[in-house]
Amino acid sequence: MAEPYLVVEHLTKVYERGQVLALKDVSFTVEKGEFLVVIGLSGSGKSTLLRCINRLVEPTSGRIFLGGVEITRLSAREMRKMRRKIGMIFQQFNLIKRATVMTNVLTGRLGYNPTWRTLLGLFPKEDRELALKNLERVGLSDKAYVRADELSGGQQQRVGIARALMQEPELLLADEPVSALDPATSHSVMQYLEQMNREDGVTVLASLHFLSLARRYGTRIIALKEGRLVFDGPPEAIDDAKFKEIYGEEAEQVEVR
Amino acid sequence: MNGYPDGIVKEPPEWLSRRRLLDALILRLKGAGQRLAIVLLDMLAIGVLWILVSYIISWHVYGVIAYTLVPWWLFGVGVVEAAAVWESFGRSLGHRLARKELRPRQGGKSTLGQRLVYYIAWHITVLPMVGLLASPPWHERLAGLSLVPFSMEGKKPTPWWRTSSGLFMAVFLCAAVAAAVSVTMDKESLTRLFTQAGRTVKFWKALFSPDTSILLPSIRDLVVTIFMAVIATSFAVVVAVPLSFLAARNLMRGPIGRPIYTVLRGAMSIIRSIEPVIWAIIFLVWVTARRAPFAGVLALWVHSIADLTKLYAERLESIDPGLVEAITSTGAGRLQVLRYAVVPQIINPYISFTLYRWDINIRMATVVGVVGGGGIGQRLYFYLKNLAWQQAGTVMILIVILVWAIDYLSARLRAKLA
Ligand SMILES: Nc1ncnc2c1ncn2[C@@H]1O[C@H](COP(=O)(O)OP(=O)(O)O)[C@@H](O)[C@H]1O
Ligand SMILES: [Mg+2]
Repeated sequence: MAEPYLVVEHLTKVYERGQVLALKDVSFTVEKGEFLVVIGLSGSGKSTLLRCINRLVEPTSGRIFLGGVEITRLSAREMRKMRRKIGMIFQQFNLIKRATVMTNVLTGRLGYNPTWRTLLGLFPKEDRELALKNLERVGLSDKAYVRADELSGGQQQRVGIARALMQEPELLLADEPVSALDPATSHSVMQYLEQMNREDGVTVLASLHFLSLARRYGTRIIALKEGRLVFDGPPEAIDDAKFKEIYGEEAEQVEVR
Repeated sequence: MNGYPDGIVKEPPEWLSRRRLLDALILRLKGAGQRLAIVLLDMLAIGVLWILVSYIISWHVYGVIAYTLVPWWLFGVGVVEAAAVWESFGRSLGHRLARKELRPRQGGKSTLGQRLVYYIAWHITVLPMVGLLASPPWHERLAGLSLVPFSMEGKKPTPWWRTSSGLFMAVFLCAAVAAAVSVTMDKESLTRLFTQAGRTVKFWKALFSPDTSILLPSIRDLVVTIFMAVIATSFAVVVAVPLSFLAARNLMRGPIGRPIYTVLRGAMSIIRSIEPVIWAIIFLVWVTARRAPFAGVLALWVHSIADLTKLYAERLESIDPGLVEAITSTGAGRLQVLRYAVVPQIINPYISFTLYRWDINIRMATVVGVVGGGGIGQRLYFYLKNLAWQQAGTVMILIVILVWAIDYLSARLRAKLA
C-alpha cells in the first residue's frame, strides 16, 4: 500500500525560551485530498504544529514526511524549494499593508523566480496574468491595485488565499484563518478553502477555534490538548464527553452559523 | 527518562539532559545575579539618599559641601545595614523593581522570627556572595522564606505612602530637589533675576539692529552649515542602514549573532553619549583643521551613525514577525524575505528618522561650528568673542530663521510619511 501523503511521527517541540513543551509526541497521518481540521484551546499547540510542517518552527525531535520526502532532514535550501508546494494562510492575514493587492499576491511566486528580478519588483507576465486570474477567483479582480490595508478583514484574507494559490500548492496550512473575522465572513472564507480542497485537490490542514466550523468543513478532525494529541477521527465521533475532554469541563458548545 | 519521547532524530537523548544541566547552572547564575542586583540597587538608593541629605545639611549648616557627614567606613556600614534591614523587614525598592517578594515556603504570612533569621543570615550569605550561588541561597533556606515573583493574590492594595519604597521615593525626590536648589541658587542671584533685567537693554538693542554689511558672507556660511548637515547625514545613513541590521536583537540570534549585537549596541550608545562638540574637538586635533568644516562634518557623521543605528535597529526590532513568516512560507529566499517582508515595514520610519536627524544636524552644525568646526557657528563665535553684539545678533537672527524653516519642513515631510 502507498504511504500516506503526510506523515507526522513522534513530533516534539520544546521552545528554548521559557522551556515550554508545546508539542509532545504527536503522531498522525493525512491522505491526499483530505480536509483535516486541528482543534484545541489556545496555547494547545495548533500553530506550532502547522509551523513545524513547513519548518517555520524547527521541531525538537520527531520526523515529518511529505509525499515520501523527509522534511525534517532537508537542508535550508531544499526546504525553501519544498515550501513552494506548501501554501499558508494566517489569522492576522500577514499582508504587506502598504503594498497593492497585486504585489501581495505576486509574492506567492517568489520561490519560483530568480532573486535579482524579484528584488527589483519584476515578475514575469505569466505570473501577473495568473495573479489576476486568482484574484478573480476570490472575487477581488477590481481591487488589484488597491492598497492592502484599505480592504476589510474578509477581503484581506481572500488576498491571503490568492497569494497561497499563486504557489499552486499541494498542501495548504491555514492557521485559524477565520478567527479574526465575523461569522458571515468566516463562512465565505471557509468556502474558498473548501473549493481549493475539492476542485484543485489541495490537501488542507486548518486549525479552527469553533467546533461547529470544524464539523461543517472538516473531513477529519484531530484535537490537541496541552501539546498532546487527544483525538483523531471523523467529525461525528466528537460527542459531549469527548468535547469536555478537549475543551475542559466548563466549556459550552458555541455555534457559528 | 527525561520526559521526552524516544525517536529523537537530530540529537541523542543525552544531549538534552546535558543541556538541562547547563541550563540549571545558568539558572543558578542568573538567580545569583538577580539577587546581587537587587542588593546593589538597594544600597545604591540608600547611599545616594544619604549623600543628598548630607549635602543639604552641610551646605546650610556649615556652608561647605560634605558628602557623608560621617567617616566613610561608617557610611559603608550604614548603607549595608540599612539595605539588610529594608530587605528583611519590608519590601525593598530592589524587590519592587524586580517584581519579587519574600514568601514563606510553607505558605501563609511570614513571622517576625523568620524575618529576624533572614536578617542575621543575610550577613553571612550576601556579604561574601558565595552563599548566593546556592539554590535556594542559604539565608532564604534558613529563614524558610523564598524569593518568588510578586503577586497580589489574596492581598489588598496598599496606598503608596504606606509602603516603604513609596515613602523612600517621596523622601528621595524631595531631597534631590532640595539639594539641587541649594547648590545652584542663592538669594542674591534670585533677587537680581527679578530686579536687574534693565542691565541687558543695551545688549538687546545691539542684537536687534542687524548689520546688513555682513549679510552676504553670513549667508554663505549658512549654506556651508546646511551642506555640513546634509553630507554628515547622508554618509551616516550609508553606514547606519547596514549596521542597524547587525544591531537588531531579533535578527541577531545565536552564538555569533548575539555578541555582535551586544558589542555594536554598546559601542553605539557610548559614541552617542559623547556630544558632537567633543567629537568636533577630537577631529579638529586629528585632521589639524586646514579646512575646518571637514572636522565638523566628521563629528556630526560619527554621532549621527550611532544615533541612526540605534533608531533604525529599534524599529527593526518592532517589525511584525507575521509578515516575515508569510513571505518565508512561500519559499522565498533570505534576500526576498528582506525585500518583501522587512523593507516595507521599515522604509518610511527610516526616512522619517533620517529627516529628523538631518534637522538635528543643522542645529548641531551651528554648535559644532562654535568650537571651530566651520560654518555659521564659527562666525557667530568670532563675533561673540570680539563683543561685536550687532554682528552676532545678525547671525543669530539668520540661524533662528534657518532652524525654524528646517524644523517646519522636516515636520511636514514626516507627517506625510506617518
Ligand atoms: N516563540 C515561542 N516561544 C516560546 N513559547 C512559545 C512560542 N510560541 C508558542 N509558544 C508556547 O507554546 C505553546 C503552544 O502555542 P501555540 O502553538 O501558539 O498554540 P495555539 O496555536 O494552539 O494557541 C503555548 O504555551 C505558547 O505559549
Ligand atoms: Mg495559534
